[in-house]
Amino acid sequence: MALRTPSGPPGPPRRRSASGTRLWTWLMLPGTLWMTGFLIASLILVATLALGTTDPLGNPRFGLNFDNITALADPAYRIVLLRSLVFALIACAVCLVVAYPVAYAIALHGGRFKHLLIAAIVVPFFANYLVRMYGWSVVLSDDGPVLKVLRAVGLADGHTRILQSGVGVIAGLVYGFIVFMIIPLYAALERMDLSLIEAGRDLYGGPLRTFFFVTLPATRQGAAAGAVLVFLPAMGDFVSAQLMGGPDQIMIGNLIQDKFFQGQNWPLGSALTMLMMAVLFVGMLGYLRRTRKDEAEAAR
Amino acid sequence: MTLRPLHRRHRRGTDRRPRLALAVTAVFFVLLYLPIGVVVLFSFNAQKSLTVFKGLSLRWYTAFFHDNVLIESLGMSLRISLVAMAGSVLLGVALALGLVRCRTRLGSLAGLIMLVPLITPEIVTGVAAMLLFKGMGITLSSGTVMLAEITFSISYVTVILRSRIAALNPEVEEAAMDLGATRWQALRLVTLPALLPSILASAVLVFALVFDDFVLAYFTTGVDPQPLSVRIYSAIRFGVQPTINAVGTLMLAGSIGLIALALAIPRLFGRRGGLDLLSGK
Amino acid sequence: MTSIDTPRAGAAEAGAPPAVRLDRISKTYGNSTAVDDLCLDIAPGEFFSLLGPSGCGKTTSLRMIGGFTDPSAGTVLLSGEDVTALPPDKRNVNTVFQSYALFDHLSVADNVAFGLKRKGVARAEIRTRVAAMLERVQLGGLGDRKPGTLSGGQRQRVALARALVNRPQVLLLDEPLAALDLKLRRRMQVELKQIQREVGITFVFVTHDQDEALTMSDRVAVMNEGRVEQCGTPEDVYEHPASRFVASFMGTSNLVPGTYRDGQVVLDCGPALPVGPRDGVADGAAVSLSVRPEKIWLSDFEPGMALVRGVVRETVYSGPTTTYLIELAPDVTVSVLEQNTDRSRMEDRWCGGESVEIGWRPEHCLVLE
Repeated sequence: MALRTPSGPPGPPRRRSASGTRLWTWLMLPGTLWMTGFLIASLILVATLALGTTDPLGNPRFGLNFDNITALADPAYRIVLLRSLVFALIACAVCLVVAYPVAYAIALHGGRFKHLLIAAIVVPFFANYLVRMYGWSVVLSDDGPVLKVLRAVGLADGHTRILQSGVGVIAGLVYGFIVFMIIPLYAALERMDLSLIEAGRDLYGGPLRTFFFVTLPATRQGAAAGAVLVFLPAMGDFVSAQLMGGPDQIMIGNLIQDKFFQGQNWPLGSALTMLMMAVLFVGMLGYLRRTRKDEAEAAR
Repeated sequence: MTLRPLHRRHRRGTDRRPRLALAVTAVFFVLLYLPIGVVVLFSFNAQKSLTVFKGLSLRWYTAFFHDNVLIESLGMSLRISLVAMAGSVLLGVALALGLVRCRTRLGSLAGLIMLVPLITPEIVTGVAAMLLFKGMGITLSSGTVMLAEITFSISYVTVILRSRIAALNPEVEEAAMDLGATRWQALRLVTLPALLPSILASAVLVFALVFDDFVLAYFTTGVDPQPLSVRIYSAIRFGVQPTINAVGTLMLAGSIGLIALALAIPRLFGRRGGLDLLSGK
Repeated sequence: MTSIDTPRAGAAEAGAPPAVRLDRISKTYGNSTAVDDLCLDIAPGEFFSLLGPSGCGKTTSLRMIGGFTDPSAGTVLLSGEDVTALPPDKRNVNTVFQSYALFDHLSVADNVAFGLKRKGVARAEIRTRVAAMLERVQLGGLGDRKPGTLSGGQRQRVALARALVNRPQVLLLDEPLAALDLKLRRRMQVELKQIQREVGITFVFVTHDQDEALTMSDRVAVMNEGRVEQCGTPEDVYEHPASRFVASFMGTSNLVPGTYRDGQVVLDCGPALPVGPRDGVADGAAVSLSVRPEKIWLSDFEPGMALVRGVVRETVYSGPTTTYLIELAPDVTVSVLEQNTDRSRMEDRWCGGESVEIGWRPEHCLVLE
């Protein structure tokens, strides 16, 4: 009999799960506990210590005291924070302006060499950051090749300096993190349906109009992701300001480093760290809201 | 006017070379490699100058290999990288497997925690790790650097492995169980071998990243032989030291070799596309 | 339609327990039901096909037999033993997956040996059994190759060998031929059937291709929306479809709307055709007449045939056969398939616009509610 008359009511399920949730949970646990124990706990510790004080010997003391938070209102700190923000944002913008044509040229005109070219960018960027920054500072130095070329073409005179200036610090940040802009842009451009461009040429005509109406919108998410990936490390950087800038170019990272190493005021350093995190958090929220909106629009 | 445009070769997508973009790309490549070239070039300079090249010499390399402090630091960096690599690959691979397969609320929470290091500037992780160790009364040493580096590297391993695991054909693991393997055996005999190229690649990548890292090391290192990158940091802050050019050249060569290896590993195993390794970051 | 009796005697009556019994199996995902209160018996040694469109629950049913999916309710029995709670590795069934799911890092021989090694079979025996199995699926000499270097058809054979070498009680095949090109698929159909006859193992075969199911199976279960619409021999299912769904899913079928009255069907387009008394069809019920295209005649009618007039709208020549689309009334078109034995020449074929008479034997037409 192919199909039998049912025998009795369907029984309740009573079995080992076919998806094996238990094993996967066990596998996940050590890493998660490790991360929670070291990372999440330590971040909470920073937040707690931001409310602490230092005793006369300079040792940190926990407490519940808002002196460090109010101290942040000091104009000296406000200027540094503002400067960090401006530097990081300019660095983002410069990265976008430079990385876009590079990613565009490689993704759409790289041909057979496209993987090789992108590897030629990525590989040195993952090489030692300090050595690269050090080399960059030599290149940008007063009698380094960049200024020599600029002087030769008349764009700079004998007094022009790049180091010890805001331009130098921003150049450092750009050099340090531009790869984080190139990778998502390249990925977005490569993923883009090229027939879109052809359709754009049909609808809008000129290549420039096509670029602004078709290519740019299609890669907006890549650019946004790149901006976040550059902004995060740029805000926290202290090497660029140290190597390329002078005393007037210090960033919030330098302040934090100073409070923990030279100044020995850990609670204040913690408060500065939390301030930086707050700024980044706002930036991340903005990014997430933006992408949500984009996704919602795309879904419609 | 000639009729040339009619015979213009048609390129897919765009039919004209974007001259501006190509020019920017060329300048970009020059500026990208110039600093590296300068470091390498002047590491062979016979003189102490960083601006004038006065003949080839290996004197800075000799100086480096005779500098016991730097050699000790090199050994320490290698040890830290090895330990961090082993620890983070072990924890990260397991975490990635769990994250992809476990569709519970705990799973999504773990997925969020895993992302924290990737969206936190290193200086914050560094400060936090240092405070944690000090708060627990642990003296900073190479051991604390290892712990901090493992924490940070787990995310890299997990991000790389997660996409690979998600791309695996779930039927392969089912086939193993169908043939009598327990879930654990299926993981060991089928899934892990299939992931081996990615695991090796992420291990090499983590080794290189940890070896090069200095922010985290700088905040968590003690006074016992400091990692090489921390030494370099102290050196370049206090002016020109040609030995650093030699050390830098060696480190650049080492990490470029390792990163290239990490990218090449999937190809060595006969799979295409090593670059997706980096798409996570 | 929980249960349909078919004339064929089931395994239960023959004494031995069925190789596979699904007892009131259901599977729900959230609000959607993949398999709905399904009952099914599969006899030992049978080549059984689960046939249906994608999303009909056939693969889910197969996965529940294999142990990869937990049923939401119901019991799975293998040879009378309740295995509902057992994981795949504890069930004596093996699966040929749609993607083949070969272990790419192992050689072909190691792929085939995988199951035997897990069972702890002696090395020497593994070697002989693997070699014999590779020989049987015509892969002798390819044992050292990696699966990645094989062609699609060869990979399919490896998957088959890897499952069969374990001598399972039941072999589950999840659309194993879907990835092959048509010619290879036809060859593998014949080969699979041959192998099944040789080894005598129960095959449960999932497919959406009715040709495949008809050629290979001893019995076919046609599924739709998580339920079995009809279960029987290929002839049963093709010649006597029990529902409109089965009739239209099993190859082309002409469904002509009408009303049943006194042993006649009055077609909406006019003529009344005698179909004989039908059990269970009420007078005045709206029905469809189902006639297969190859069962409709265009000439040389026999006495007692139902005859209808129509206009040829389209003539489609396809080598051995010609298909005519004939309009009986606006919106009622039937297709008629003719062997090109008589009308071999162009001028003998009916042309568009010609008025023709078509007819069929009353026993070749089914009344479907």
